[in-house]
Amino acid sequence: MPWITLTILVPLAGALLCGLLAQSERRTATLVALATAGVTLVLSLVALGLFDRNLADLQLVDHLDWVESIGLAWDVGVDGISIWLLLLTTVLFMVGIGYACFRLPERGPAFLAMLLLAEAGLIGLFAAGDLVLFYVFWEAMLVPFAFLIWVWGGERRRRAGLTFVIYTMVGSLLMLVAILATAFIAQDITGQFTFNIAELRGVAFSETESTWLFLGFALAFAIKLPLWPLHGWLPMAYGEAPILVTALLAAVMSKAAVYGMIRIGVPVFPEGANNLAILIGVLAVVGIVYGSLVAWRARTMRMLVAYSSLAHLGFVMLGIVAFDVMAAQGAVLQMVNHGIIVAAAFIIVGVINRGTGEEDIDRIGGLAARAPWLSGIFLIVAMASLAVPGSNAFVGEFFILAGVFRHHAWLAVLACIGIVYAAVYMLRLYQSSMNHEERGIPAGRRQELGLPDLVALVPLVLIMLFIALWPASIVGGTRASVEAAVAPAQVAAGRPADQILVPVPRNPPAENLPLPGDETAADPATTTPGGQP
Amino acid sequence: MATTLGWIILALPLLGCLALALFPRHGEPPKGPVIAIGVGSILIAFVLSAVVFASMLAEDPSERLHVDSLYEWIDIGGVSVDLAIRIDTLSMMMMLIITGVGFLIHLYSVEYMDHDRDYRRFFAEMNFFVFSMLLLVMAENFVFLIVGWGFVGIASYLLIGYYYQQADAVRSAKKAFVMNVIGDVGMVLAAFLLVRELGTLDYSEVFARAGELGPESGTALAVCLLLFVGAAAKSGQMPLHSWLPDAMTGPTPVSALIHAATMVTAGVYLIVRCYTLFDLSSLAGDTVAVVGMVTLFLAATVALMQVDIKRVLAWSTVSQIGYMVMAAGLGLYASAMFHLMTHAFFKATLFLAAGAVIHALGGEQSLDRMGGLRRHLRVAYFAMGAGCLAIAGFPGFSGFFSKDEILAYSLAAGTLGTIGYVVGTVAALLTAIYMFRLLFRAFFGPDPDGGYAHAPHPSRWWMAVPLSILAVLAVVGGWIQVPFGWHLIDDWLAPALVGAPEISPSHTQEVVSLIIGSIVAVAGIAIAWYLFGADRERRLRLAGVAAGPRRVLEDGYELDEIYDEALIGTTRDLGDALTRDFEPKGAGGIISAPVAIVRGSARVLRAAESGLVRTYAFALIAGVGAAGIVIVLAVVR
Repeated sequence: MPWITLTILVPLAGALLCGLLAQSERRTATLVALATAGVTLVLSLVALGLFDRNLADLQLVDHLDWVESIGLAWDVGVDGISIWLLLLTTVLFMVGIGYACFRLPERGPAFLAMLLLAEAGLIGLFAAGDLVLFYVFWEAMLVPFAFLIWVWGGERRRRAGLTFVIYTMVGSLLMLVAILATAFIAQDITGQFTFNIAELRGVAFSETESTWLFLGFALAFAIKLPLWPLHGWLPMAYGEAPILVTALLAAVMSKAAVYGMIRIGVPVFPEGANNLAILIGVLAVVGIVYGSLVAWRARTMRMLVAYSSLAHLGFVMLGIVAFDVMAAQGAVLQMVNHGIIVAAAFIIVGVINRGTGEEDIDRIGGLAARAPWLSGIFLIVAMASLAVPGSNAFVGEFFILAGVFRHHAWLAVLACIGIVYAAVYMLRLYQSSMNHEERGIPAGRRQELGLPDLVALVPLVLIMLFIALWPASIVGGTRASVEAAVAPAQVAAGRPADQILVPVPRNPPAENLPLPGDETAADPATTTPGGQP
Repeated sequence: MATTLGWIILALPLLGCLALALFPRHGEPPKGPVIAIGVGSILIAFVLSAVVFASMLAEDPSERLHVDSLYEWIDIGGVSVDLAIRIDTLSMMMMLIITGVGFLIHLYSVEYMDHDRDYRRFFAEMNFFVFSMLLLVMAENFVFLIVGWGFVGIASYLLIGYYYQQADAVRSAKKAFVMNVIGDVGMVLAAFLLVRELGTLDYSEVFARAGELGPESGTALAVCLLLFVGAAAKSGQMPLHSWLPDAMTGPTPVSALIHAATMVTAGVYLIVRCYTLFDLSSLAGDTVAVVGMVTLFLAATVALMQVDIKRVLAWSTVSQIGYMVMAAGLGLYASAMFHLMTHAFFKATLFLAAGAVIHALGGEQSLDRMGGLRRHLRVAYFAMGAGCLAIAGFPGFSGFFSKDEILAYSLAAGTLGTIGYVVGTVAALLTAIYMFRLLFRAFFGPDPDGGYAHAPHPSRWWMAVPLSILAVLAVVGGWIQVPFGWHLIDDWLAPALVGAPEISPSHTQEVVSLIIGSIVAVAGIAIAWYLFGADRERRLRLAGVAAGPRRVLEDGYELDEIYDEALIGTTRDLGDALTRDFEPKGAGGIISAPVAIVRGSARVLRAAESGLVRTYAFALIAGVGAAGIVIVLAVVR
C-alpha cells in the first residue's frame, strides 16, 4: 500500500469535498472533516507501525516517475526525522479540526476545507523526498494559511495576511532559485540531473557554491521559522489569525523551516552550513533572549505566547546548527514538544479570551477560583513551556544544550538566559490570569473548560506526560537518520573522527574527486552513498 | 527487596497526589478520605522506609548500596540515562527524615488547615512535594536529581503561593521559583560539563571516573561551583537566599516541611552526594565553606531584628543551613548530615510551635502583638522551649551535639576551619540571643497591649501530638552521636562516604569546643533574658539606639532592593524598550520594507486589497503557476 501517498491524498480529498459543499451544510462538512482527519491520523499511525527505527534513509517510499528526462518524480516517504513531524501534524490537525467543529466560524465548510488543505500541504512537505516536491508543498501550505488569516482573521487581517504572504514569498522565491541552481551545479559535478534529496547528498560542491546555495535555502527557512531578526511577520500573523490557526501556525508550520534545515540545508550543503553555523547559532541565541524579553513585556496573552515561540524555536535551530548528534536528536524531539505545548498554550489563551472577553494580561485575574480545571491544566502547560525539569520540553532543551555545549559552550551558556526568562514570562502569564483577586471577569460567562476544550487539551497533556516519562520512544527512532544527517557537516567542521558515527556519502565517489581536507577519502567504505556502518 | 520497596515508597506520595488531584469534583469532597489518602500515603511510605532501614541494618556495611533501574529513559548521542533509584546509607537517611518528619507535619496539617476551603489541594500539593523530594534523594543519576530538583521547586512554588489571592503570596512564589531556576541553570551547566568530559550522568560512573576530570583542574572546579550555584539557590545561601524569608507567605506546615526541614537542605545533600567531585577541587570546597560562613553569620544578625515570628525562623534557617554548608565545604560531610538531621527535628518543632501560636491567634504573626502566651498555650510553650534550647546549643539538647561537632571538627580543618570556628561560635551566640528573644517576647511577660481579640485556644491532638513527638526528637535527637562516646551517624554514613578525607579534632580541641559552646549558649540565653525577658521596658528604651543600621538588618541588608534595581529593573526596561521601540520599527521595518515596495510599485496588488478573496486566490495560484512555468522552462532549456 502507498501509505504515505494516501496520507497526503486523504486530507486533500477531504478538502475538496468540504470545499464543494454549500456553506449551509455545516453538519455534513464537520462529519467529512472529522472523518478525513481521523483517517489521516490512522494512516500516519500505520506508517509509524511499519517504520523501521534502524534505517537512516527514506523508507515507505512511493516512487512514481513523472517527467523522467528532467528528473521530476513523485517521491515521498519518511525517515527518522519526518515520521515524528508527520505524526505531529496529523495529531494536531485532528485536535484542531475537532476543536474547530465544536465552534465553527462563519463559512464553516470553507474553513474546514482550508484546514484540511493545510494539513495535506504540511504532510506532503514532511514526506517529500525531492526538492521540487518540497517546494511545491512549501508553497501549497502557504495558500490555505494565508486564506485562513485573510478571511477569518481579526480586524487587521488583510494587512496581516498580505504581510505573511509577501514575506514568506520572498523567502520561497530565493529557495526556488537555490533549488534550480543546486540541480544544475550538481549536474555539472556528477553528470546526473536530479532533484532527489538523497542523491544530492554528498555532491562535492565547491565551498563557495555550497555556501551560496545553503544561504538561499537558509534564508527561506529563517523567514519561515522565523529566525531573529526576520520575524517581522510573526506578531501580525499570530496576532490576527483565528487563535486556532495561530496555534497550528506556531505548532506545525514553523517546524517546516527547521525540518528543511536538518533535511536539506545541513546534509546537502555541509560546507556552506559549516561556514554559516556560528552566525545562525548566534542569531538563534539572540532570538532566544530577545523573544524572552519581549514576551515578558508583551501586552496581550496571545503575543506573549507568540514571542515565547520565537524563543523556543531558537533552541531548536541552535540544536541543528551545532552539528552534534545529541543536540540534533534533542532538536527533533523539541520540534514535537514545542508543537504540542504551544498548541495547548494557544488553546488555553483562546479559552481565557473567550471566557473574559479580554486579551490584555493585566486586566484579568483570579480565574483559578472560578475555573480549577483550567488553572490545573494551564499550570502543567506553563511548566512544560518553561521547560521545568521533568517536563517533556526539558528533555529536548537539556540535550540540545548539552550537545551544543560540547562544541560551543558559550552559546549554550548564553542560551541559558532564555531558560531563566522563560520562567519569568510564563509565570507572569499564569499568575496574572489565574491568581490574585478576581478582576475583569464578566458575569454570566463560563470561564471553566468546557467539554470541547477538554477533548482538545487532555490528549495534548497526555502526550506531554508520555514524552516526559519515556522520551526514548521518540529519540530512539531519530538516531539513525540524525546521525546520517549531521555526519557530512561534522566532517566539514573538522570534528574528531570518533564523533562522526556514520560514513559520509560522496557523489561522485571520493577516489574520483578527492576533496581538500578529507582525511577519509582513501577509505572505500565511505564511498557507498547513504551507506550504513 | 530494598529497591522494590524503594519504588513503592516513591510511588505512594505520587499516587496520593494523583488521587487527590483527580478526585471527582462535585464541590469539595468530605475531609475523611482526603485525610486518609493525604496522610496515609506518607505514613505508609515512612513505615516502608523504616522496613528498608531495618533490612539494611542487618546487612554488612559494605553491602548497603542498592541500585535498580526501571527502564531506559533515553539513549541520545552516546549518553544513556535510566529511570533508576539508588538506596544507600545517605539516601536512606534522607528518606527517613523526609517521610518521618513529613508524616508528622501532614498529621499536624489536618487540624491546622481545618478552616481552609482548599483542603484537598493542600494535601495534593504536599504529597507532590514529598514525592519530588524523595525522587531528588533517591535518584541514581544527575538527570533525575535535576528532575527532583525542579519538582520540589514546583511544589515549593505552589505552596508558597497557596493563598493565591494575596498579592504578596503570588509575588513570593514567583520570586522563589525564578531564583531556583537560576540554581537549576547552574546544575544543568554542571551536567553539560559532565556529559562533555565523562559522557555519562550516572552517579556510579561519574564518581568512579571523577579522577579523569583531573585533581585541582579548572573543569573540576567549574563542575563543583556550578553544582553549588544550584545548592545555594535551593538552600538559601547568599546571595541567592532572599526568596527564603519571603517564602513564609505559605501556610506554616509548609514552612516547617519544605522551607526548614527538608527541601532547603537539599543543597547540603547535593554537596555530600557529590563529595567525590568536591574533593577534587580544594578551591571549590573553600568557596563553599566561605559562602556558608558569610551566610550563617549575616543571616544570624538579620534574625536578631525580625518582628514577624516566621521570618525570625526563616532567617534562622538560612543561618543554620550556613553551618551545614560550611561543614560540607570543609569536608566534614558526616557532621553536615548530622546537623541536617537535628535541624530537621528542632526547626520543624519551632515552626510547628509557631504555627500553633499563629493558629491560636487567628493568623497573628507579629511579635509585637504577642506576649504571655505560656499561660495560654502550654504545649506550644514547651515545644518552643525545647526547640529554642536545641537550636541555641544548650548542653544535652540535640543542637548542642551537632553544632558542636561542626565547630570542633572545623578546628581540625586548617586555617579556614579555624576562621569558621570563630565565625560559627559568634553566630552561635547570636543564635541563642535571637531565639530566646522570640521565646521571651512571645511567651513571657504580660499579654500584649489591649489583650487578645479572642482568647488563644489550645490545639487539639492532631496538632499537639506531632508537635510533642518532634519536640522530644529535638531534645534527644543528638544523643546518637556523642563526643568521646559513640558515632552512629558517622558509622552509618561511612559506606556512602568512602574515600572522604578523615578529619577529626584532637581531644583538646574537642574539650575546648564543648566548653566554649556551652558557655556561649548560656551566655546568649542570659543576654536575651536581660534584654527581652527580665524587664520588658528595656527593649523599648533601647529602640532608638542605632536605628539606621537596625533598619538595614531588618531589611536583610537591603539585597532585595539591589536586585530589583540592578537585575530586574534594567532587563525590564530593556524588554520594554525592545517591545516599544525596536519591535515595531526595527523588526517591523525589515518586514514593512518589502511590503511597502510591493504595494507602491504594483497597483495590481493595491486593487487586490479591495478584499476580494477571489483576487487573492488568483494572485496566489498565478504565482505558484508562474513558479512552475519557470521551473519547467529552466529545466527543459
